[in-house]
Amino acid sequence: MDRAIEPTELTAAAAPERLGEYLAGLAPPHTHHDHGPAKTVRTTEFEGHRIVVTTTYEVTVDGKPLNVQLHVDDDGTLSCHGLPSYQFASALDSIRALIANFPEDFEGGE
Amino acid sequence: MAVVRKNILTDATARDDYVRGVGLLKREPSGHTTAELGIPGPTNPVSTYDLFVVWHIRAMMKPVPPSGDHRVRNAAHRGPIFLPWHRVMLAALEANLQRVLQKPQFALPYWDWAADGELGAPAGAKIWKDTYMGGQGDPVADGPFRYDPADPDTFTIRLRSDSNGKILQTERGLRRIFGQGPPIGSPTMPTSTEQKEALAFDPGTADPVDRYDSSPFHVSSEGFRSRLEGFAPRNNKPHLHNQVHMWVGGDMGPAHSPNDPVFFLHHCNVDRIWEGWMDRYGRLYAPDMSFPAAVYEGHRIDDPIVSPLGPSATPRKVMDMSTLYVYDVKP
Repeated sequence: MDRAIEPTELTAAAAPERLGEYLAGLAPPHTHHDHGPAKTVRTTEFEGHRIVVTTTYEVTVDGKPLNVQLHVDDDGTLSCHGLPSYQFASALDSIRALIANFPEDFEGGE
Repeated sequence: MAVVRKNILTDATARDDYVRGVGLLKREPSGHTTAELGIPGPTNPVSTYDLFVVWHIRAMMKPVPPSGDHRVRNAAHRGPIFLPWHRVMLAALEANLQRVLQKPQFALPYWDWAADGELGAPAGAKIWKDTYMGGQGDPVADGPFRYDPADPDTFTIRLRSDSNGKILQTERGLRRIFGQGPPIGSPTMPTSTEQKEALAFDPGTADPVDRYDSSPFHVSSEGFRSRLEGFAPRNNKPHLHNQVHMWVGGDMGPAHSPNDPVFFLHHCNVDRIWEGWMDRYGRLYAPDMSFPAAVYEGHRIDDPIVSPLGPSATPRKVMDMSTLYVYDVKP
């Protein structure tokens, strides 16, 4: 087993000044997922054939486009990056969960 | 000297210290502002506690490897790094609590949620009583983290994530909405039986490390990590860690879940279960460094964990934390 973290090392790294500096440098990535409908590309090989399945969801809520990072896992299960512990069998369910969990972002309704 | 992490329900001193320490960290200016941290809106000071909210969201948005897709695996979730990353985060919070409490012997308590899962009505469990974490509400209206807009020191949520993981400023009380049905939440909590099943999982392969995780090392993987994180078995229901987030609901659902102080008690228990697994099978981890960086960097045994410790914290280096802490009881 390699040397474990030393208590002094941990204390220094966890100090608010250093943790904040680190987080300031942990810039959020600017990716193609940031704008427009999120796309998932799934690939596999089967009996010598290469399969590519591209899935794109275009979602509106109350007529307004919703830029949402839905992702299709290899087995077809959906996940939504804003709700990291959730998985969905249905895209409609994923949007229902978003509306319920982000009330500030979906004002109006009932 | 290692501190001893104990069940919050059996250690009133740890409970009271935790509540007091969280309050102190919420009120302590970190010396950094929203502008410095790249958070849009007016420039406001960010508390030390809220740095942990930012860290969790930022790690979730960070693809590893850099050319990867953070929706597949990110620096803290959906892969083997899930347990090591949260272990480092908890240790960093514990160090800050020891500092503000001026109590080096303070140990983060854990919430043994599987015990509550055995109850018919976990909403009535002791952890949610006024003298512990308080109950549910929008905002939470009892317990140490209740919201009172007339009190300048009231527990206030100041940073949140949106549905895409972008950090936004807000000012409101803590939300918890227990036991909502699918797809909004989970009506049940994990049970001790489910926890035992995850600990006992045997992939039936020759390589012992497959017990921890196996290719493709993401949510579809078999193995203890994916079971404890809550993605396996794949049967359209949440499990263990994920199920607890979904049962508590409210602020425990989104990427900003460390806003709820119960987050750290929950993850301390996840860490305790991992430690119990390592007691059974050894300090095993996968993937090793033979797996290609182009796909797995950030999740391999000697890759730096996304933390201010840099290369000093890798999965290999955090598998044994006994110089820092131990648990009173392991599952």
